[in-house]
Amino acid sequence: MHKTFVIAMREYQAAVRTKTFIITLVLMPVMMGGGVGVQFLLHDKVDTKDKHIAIVDLTGQLYESINGAAQERNEHEIFREEDDTQKQILPRYMIEQVKPTTTERDELLFSLSERVRNEEILGFVIIEPDSIENSDPNPMRQALSYYSNSPTYDDVLKWIDDPINEQIQIRRMIKANLDADIVMRATQKHRMANLGLVEKDEDGHITKAQQTNEVANILVPLGMMMLMFMTIMIGAQPLVHSVLEEKMQRISEVLLGSVPPFQLMMGKLLGMVGVSMTIGTIYLIGSAVAIHYAGYGEMFPAHIVWWFLVFQGLAVLMFGSLFIAVGAAVSDLKEANNVMTPMTLVMVAPMFVWMNVVREPSSMFSTVLSLIPPVTPMLMTIRQAVPPGVPVWQPLVGVVLMLITTVGCVFIAGRIFRIGILTQGKAPSFREAMSWVARG
Amino acid sequence: MNVVEIDHITKTFSGHRAVDGLSLTVPEGSIYGFIGPNGSGKSTTLRMIMRIYYPDTGSGKILVLGQHVHGAANDRIGYLPEERGLYKKMKVRDALRFYAEIQGMRDYKSAIRHWLERMELSDWADKKIETLSKGMAQKIQFISAVIAKPSLVILDEPFSGLDPVNMDVLREAVLELRREGSTIIFSTHDMGVAEKMCDYIFMIFKGKKVLDGTLDTLKDEYGQDTIRVILPDHNGNLSDMEHVEKVTDFGRTQELRIVPGTDSQQILAALMQRGRITHFELTRPSLHDIFVRIAGPEAQQVQPPVALEEVHHA
Repeated sequence: MHKTFVIAMREYQAAVRTKTFIITLVLMPVMMGGGVGVQFLLHDKVDTKDKHIAIVDLTGQLYESINGAAQERNEHEIFREEDDTQKQILPRYMIEQVKPTTTERDELLFSLSERVRNEEILGFVIIEPDSIENSDPNPMRQALSYYSNSPTYDDVLKWIDDPINEQIQIRRMIKANLDADIVMRATQKHRMANLGLVEKDEDGHITKAQQTNEVANILVPLGMMMLMFMTIMIGAQPLVHSVLEEKMQRISEVLLGSVPPFQLMMGKLLGMVGVSMTIGTIYLIGSAVAIHYAGYGEMFPAHIVWWFLVFQGLAVLMFGSLFIAVGAAVSDLKEANNVMTPMTLVMVAPMFVWMNVVREPSSMFSTVLSLIPPVTPMLMTIRQAVPPGVPVWQPLVGVVLMLITTVGCVFIAGRIFRIGILTQGKAPSFREAMSWVARG
Repeated sequence: MNVVEIDHITKTFSGHRAVDGLSLTVPEGSIYGFIGPNGSGKSTTLRMIMRIYYPDTGSGKILVLGQHVHGAANDRIGYLPEERGLYKKMKVRDALRFYAEIQGMRDYKSAIRHWLERMELSDWADKKIETLSKGMAQKIQFISAVIAKPSLVILDEPFSGLDPVNMDVLREAVLELRREGSTIIFSTHDMGVAEKMCDYIFMIFKGKKVLDGTLDTLKDEYGQDTIRVILPDHNGNLSDMEHVEKVTDFGRTQELRIVPGTDSQQILAALMQRGRITHFELTRPSLHDIFVRIAGPEAQQVQPPVALEEVHHA
């Protein structure tokens, strides 16, 4: 046992005392959160140049109102208060009326398209003459059309839809002798508040329901899952290279003179569990502090931290033992990568279903999937991080199943390691490796 | 007492018999030299003694320090493998501490200091292994094998690649270990080293034992059939001489193997016909010569190797 500890300590120190470790520690969250961070930093780095839009109002009634709405927007909706100044963060929309000079519709469309291509205008809107009429029951009829050469920029399309339709509705009401003001108020919709459940506190008082933060409810489980993935990868994956290097440099032969193979393997595994736990703990504490300072302290899922660490430790043992077996069985990195690809796919499998699990953490699909050992650590963590969490028996069953699988993996890896670590030359076929396992 | 007792063991790799029905006893306190061509089974035998490999199921048994090999790794055995294995990024002192600890040693500081001084490496204690020369790394590897004062030291090619100075340092260290009571087994391709250092010599060829005994007994088996001669003025070939089986040309010295029963005076007379003789020595064959007689291309063309047991039984 002492020798296992000595090996584990060496492995741990060799990993954490390197510059690579420090760089990984800093870079990993930067890379993972980098996309979000960059978007946050660049969120107001938009083009504020005026956008010119031509309106062909074939009803002859709507242009003035639309232009009025645009001016209203340009005066009030495109600025942000910043240190007592108004900073423009959105472009102005400059509406231009185009009166058709030709009765040829195609000619009109072409000439306006040319203006878009020449970048005189961003796009143009055609309001059909009968768009105010309500005679056509076909809802698919295109009474309004927006033409542009920038299909991915849909801000104008999203904005202009409302003022035009509002004006059309008002005119329809007037035609029908309805008081537009009354109708608009009568048909006004309410916004539904998204709340959690009420609870009784320690004094027996019923607490107020908390406003549900949909973004946080997705981001927190996602963050926990990514952290789990990252810590498993950092703990388990280097074992392939470490074992392969020791095998090729004959270090393992020296070690096997003093340490039985299983103790050697367990020492290496436990060392990397330690590395993984160190990183996990640093990130968990870092996240808790960061979230607290950002004023969202209650969003940190402190209640699942212990579960997280247990699942993380088991996952590193499980995947790590398999990676050790790969490192011991092969003779070069290329062979190792071939064998590792399917294993890495299993590790990333939860990424393909995480959205479904976040949306419906208690569904049969999510529950059953989160109890399948290779994906349990990541999926169970997601489910636990979505309020209100899962019944305690589920992570318990998850841990038991993980434990059984981990013991199996370590057993298999131990047998492959014992023979593979001293075998040079061609890597064994799957059948040969299984015969190593069977023979012992 | 025998430190190692091997009785009829066989080791097969993918149908190839690396070691075939081998028996051997290594007495306590001796220096036992393993010789044999590359791929003959030396390292496999050493690894079996080390419990890194196990003999084939159903073949004989190995007792090391009185224990069967199917047990835990033994802290009383120090091992220097053929291909050196050290963590390159580790500092010398940390590496030695690590190897001392995995050999069950708790109080290792003074031992590390002693050995670093002994090997003239004290100034390198805090340097990384990767900064050491090959010879230095080899000495560190040697220290890691012997630091825990093992009863049995197994050294696979300990002197290969060393310059004469480092070779002397290592040789003296090996002899010191023996004086302190350790038994030494080492393999080597340097017949001179084997002749000078070993109490016993064991030769394995194609997995079978072909020589085993003290140097004197081995040489006695071959008798005085070798003549070393120096003819300074003679540049020709001596292999055309009568009653001469083989000539080995060492440049200045010629080594002649004569047909058994030939009178050496007859050879001397024939040599005098060829030029002035400054050295004439009737001797037993060198270990080198014995090695070549067994494993050289000439011997292999004539007959496959015969295991020593088979010869003795016959």
